[in-house]
Amino acid sequence: MAGSTRGCDMPERSGAFVCASARRAGDRASVLRRILRFCRAKPLGAAGGAIILTMLFMALGAEELATHDPVRTEPARTLDPPSAQHWLGTDYLGRDIYSRLVYGARVSLAVGLASTLLGSVLGGVIGLLSGYAGGSADLVAQRFMDILQGLPLLVLALVMSAALGPSVPNVVVAISVPIIPRAARIIRSSVLAIRESPYIEAARSLGVRHLRIAFRHILPNTIGPFMVLTTAQLGSAILVEAALSFLGLGVPEPFPSWGRMLSISAAEYAHKAPWIVLFPGAAISLAVFGTNLLGDALRDVLDPRLRQRMS
Amino acid sequence: MRTYLLTRLLIGLLTLVGMSLVIFVLMRIAPGDIVDMIFASAGYVDPAAKAEITKEIGLDQPIAVQYGRWLRDLVQGDLGKSYRYDLPAWQVIRPRIPISLELALLSMAVAVALGVPAGVLSAVRQDRSIDYLIRILSLAGLSMPSFWLGMVIILSLVWLLGWIPSLTYVSPLEDWKANLLQFLFPALAVGLRSSALIMRITRSALLEVLREDYIRTAYAKGQREWVVIWRHALRNAFLPVLTLLGIEFAFLIGGLVVTETVFNLPGVARFLVEAILWRDYPVVQNLVMFIAIIVIGMNLAVDLLYGWLDPRVRHA
Amino acid sequence: MRPTGERADAARIWLAVWGALLGLLIWAPAAWAGSASPKPGGILSATQSDPPPSLSIHEEGTVATVWPMMPCYNNLVLFDPLKRAENEQTLIGELAESWRWDDGGKALTFRLRKGVKWHDGQLFSAQDVKYTFDVVREAPGAPAKLRVNPRKLWYENIAAIETPDPGTVVFRLSRPQPSLLLMLAAGYSPIYPAHVPLAELRTKCVGTGPFKLKEYRLGEYIDLVKNPDYMIKGRPYLDGIRYVIIKERSTRYAALQAGRLDISYPLELAKTIAQGVKQAVPQIVLIESSTNLNDNLLLNFKRPIFADARVRRAINLAIDRKGYVQAGRQGGATVGGVMLPKPSGAWGLGEKDLVKLPGVGDATKNRAEAKQLLAAAGYGPGKPLKLAVSTRASSFFVDLASFIIDQLKQVGIEASLEQVEMGVWHAKLTRRDYEMAVNNTGMGPDDPDANLYENYKCGSPRNYSDYCNPEVDRLIDVQSQTVDLAKRQKLVQELDVRLQLEGARIILGWAQEYFLMWPYVKNLVPHQSAYNYGRMQEVWLDK
Repeated sequence: MAGSTRGCDMPERSGAFVCASARRAGDRASVLRRILRFCRAKPLGAAGGAIILTMLFMALGAEELATHDPVRTEPARTLDPPSAQHWLGTDYLGRDIYSRLVYGARVSLAVGLASTLLGSVLGGVIGLLSGYAGGSADLVAQRFMDILQGLPLLVLALVMSAALGPSVPNVVVAISVPIIPRAARIIRSSVLAIRESPYIEAARSLGVRHLRIAFRHILPNTIGPFMVLTTAQLGSAILVEAALSFLGLGVPEPFPSWGRMLSISAAEYAHKAPWIVLFPGAAISLAVFGTNLLGDALRDVLDPRLRQRMS
Repeated sequence: MRTYLLTRLLIGLLTLVGMSLVIFVLMRIAPGDIVDMIFASAGYVDPAAKAEITKEIGLDQPIAVQYGRWLRDLVQGDLGKSYRYDLPAWQVIRPRIPISLELALLSMAVAVALGVPAGVLSAVRQDRSIDYLIRILSLAGLSMPSFWLGMVIILSLVWLLGWIPSLTYVSPLEDWKANLLQFLFPALAVGLRSSALIMRITRSALLEVLREDYIRTAYAKGQREWVVIWRHALRNAFLPVLTLLGIEFAFLIGGLVVTETVFNLPGVARFLVEAILWRDYPVVQNLVMFIAIIVIGMNLAVDLLYGWLDPRVRHA
Repeated sequence: MRPTGERADAARIWLAVWGALLGLLIWAPAAWAGSASPKPGGILSATQSDPPPSLSIHEEGTVATVWPMMPCYNNLVLFDPLKRAENEQTLIGELAESWRWDDGGKALTFRLRKGVKWHDGQLFSAQDVKYTFDVVREAPGAPAKLRVNPRKLWYENIAAIETPDPGTVVFRLSRPQPSLLLMLAAGYSPIYPAHVPLAELRTKCVGTGPFKLKEYRLGEYIDLVKNPDYMIKGRPYLDGIRYVIIKERSTRYAALQAGRLDISYPLELAKTIAQGVKQAVPQIVLIESSTNLNDNLLLNFKRPIFADARVRRAINLAIDRKGYVQAGRQGGATVGGVMLPKPSGAWGLGEKDLVKLPGVGDATKNRAEAKQLLAAAGYGPGKPLKLAVSTRASSFFVDLASFIIDQLKQVGIEASLEQVEMGVWHAKLTRRDYEMAVNNTGMGPDDPDANLYENYKCGSPRNYSDYCNPEVDRLIDVQSQTVDLAKRQKLVQELDVRLQLEGARIILGWAQEYFLMWPYVKNLVPHQSAYNYGRMQEVWLDK
């Protein structure tokens, strides 16, 4: 597709998600067509998307899909192996593992999504503004991002979680903080590439205000990298939540998050009843696997050059 | 080049100061302090005695004063005393450093040993079934929580072999075989993730290079496939892999936290978690600064290496 | 020429049989003697889950300090290590050779051993005893002050400590208190050296005990080595003990199973895992015993909601104690009241008193009664009672709290969970900043004084629920002064039932210990309380 014909003079990219501002006038049907094209071109990515959608479906329909109350303890049936009554067995308090897994999807995905979006949006805005503004504002913002990024993900999340205390909103904030600098860096580098293009210069010489340029013209072109970023970070957020819950600083009871199901207690009974540890871990791995597949495919489609910038 | 180095150093220093402030403040926001912990371990709290001890340790001073004191001591080389153990912080931290260091290095070794050959194979047989297989496997490795992987490894070891590695840390100087056995499995648990990343970057770097004209020329000249790859292509993949290794080393520390817990290794990362739990401010602050120095140092080293090795940058 | 034929065969058989018999004769006594008389030597491999917060027993309240440090010190008197039960009959003297009560039970005189040396070579004398207990009871003019003093209450009744000569110590009490002797025998009551500053004892050990501290590698292990100048000749048998610190429970048990560790750690309370190990290696010795630790639910009496006795009783009824035993402790617990239940505890309630307690007995009936009580108090399906349950943020407590919340849900009480980090927990309890709290309480000796004063007396700092009943206070004082054992037992049991019915502290149950040790470890006998048998003086290895 050499040169789009809809009035955006952007350098050619092998994706169709660019120039959203120009194409907004509407071909909803072509969105569907594009998705189908994506599926055919990148079957792995489609598989990843399917996995995520299935888990989302599981999370939303938890009430229908679960067989037991995830919090109900049955002292008489602790550490039961998988059976007709308890599809994936019971844990050390006699709770049904399958139901906890299903409800756990809700918590783990919600926390993962919320923290990823929070971190990515915040970081993205910072990256957009600092990349566009340049100069000393950019330098200061960059240093602040360096500070946040210099601390390993888990350590920062740990300290934040300890500082804020265990509750769902606090965990979301704690996990989102390490994402901010990573998001900022990616969006910023994307902005830097676009900033010097003739299109933007033309807009500026026409007297268009800076903020308008930033949000109306540059932002849409960062959507591609943004989508790749959020998908990749979603997997990372789910893993961090699991690690925090494992260490005891994550989502508090009674929410059955997958990470909590892998608590130290569970590990202690694992050698006698391995299913209490195998299934939650498999669920986490599967969810993250899905996000990685989708993220990879998106990256391939949107910009092969992004691959280098991302690593 | 020299001005570049100096600016980077200065920026690095500023970043360190910034980090120190962030950690300092965050730890003091967290509810509870070491005095609470001391009483907690005794099983009761006496408010009068608590006030006395707080004053003794100096935690009743305003935050700014405490920060100033800490910085002043730090600059003089005094790392302070661990609140929990009543011993100099450095004395408490130092024996743990080699353990984490060894684990990190071994994990990197595992990652390279697994990742590079996989990446090469994947690139050379691009889009064939082996490529897909390797990519999927490595992606799976990337998706697993490393502590879960550690749990599964231990479970398998105990179940299948009825065997566990050494309980107390055995230094490689004492008994390198026992030490290797002790570190092999945690290195595997941590390294698997990194190996996936290395595989991907090796693959993509190699793919780019393999398309170049001079490679095609080499083939046309009749050189064997593996010779071509080894002599020409890998050299160009070397740089991105090195960059990634540098970055990953710093990220590894997070992974070390959970792995050291699961495998009972008395390393720096696990100690950090305990210190955070115990609000042992001096230990937390010093450890985090130590990690930060390593991270920034790594970044700087990688940048410098890049600048030195990549002729395009060197002659810019 | 070799003999052949039937006679030769018979001869050979006779030779073989007698040879075997002779061999048996020679071997048997050796084997017997080997397993009967203690052999010196060997290092005991022990373990623990957490590093000791500090090495100073008087400043700590956790088994993580008492267990590794007991071998380093001596008490005046101790519960016989070789006997499971802990009571006045099983007391033996350590630094005290003999003792007697005088002055109608208001004076306790000890005659001390001579020629005992501290680990640094200084001589032990009555001064050290006076110093220790003046410091612990925070006597006016005490020569030093403990930074943290959890058991000050134990010695409240001491008016003065006299040392008429270097070999005699007299404790003068304000009123008779038979329990004092038992509290002095607890693992928590070692004698400290008067010549060593208290702060030093946090990081090193100077005692008179059978073992000296050789090395404390922080977070990894504690190495003790035999004290060659120990006051009892021929003891200890062991050359040393190593306590390896392993945080992960599954790793500890895997190591035990593999023979890397010789004994397990008291207060593990892991019935399922211990039984798993026993199944895997049947030759290992599994000893079930009590621990003197109970899991309990605190109701904050200062909150107006709990002024209503019906609400308290409803909550008490709702929690099925049998369910707790299974879900909370995987079957490793016994149901009981305020004092350690029989047969382990001497003061526990009998069967017929036990069934009177709320939450014991038919769960369905109990729940029905609970719902009725709540309805009478004005709560029902339309207007549910909402409560907050706080607990420590560790796996075990969170799980226990989840179980309790579920039990409350089944009678219509909606309870939410608040997780509190360990450091802040006791501060919160002290401030009474909670509504309901899931807690556990471990006590040194099985003694009513040690238990009742701390946990149920008006105004006691560890009476976290702020339960206050002046009549009960008076009865606690009465039983404390009662010398006649049978009378005292009856008084204690009446108090027990009363406290449980009023919901002063809802006792869920008493945890059972599943101690594992390899059969070659001899003379280590777990006691009915986890805190008092770690001296290791008599232990030897039959290897």
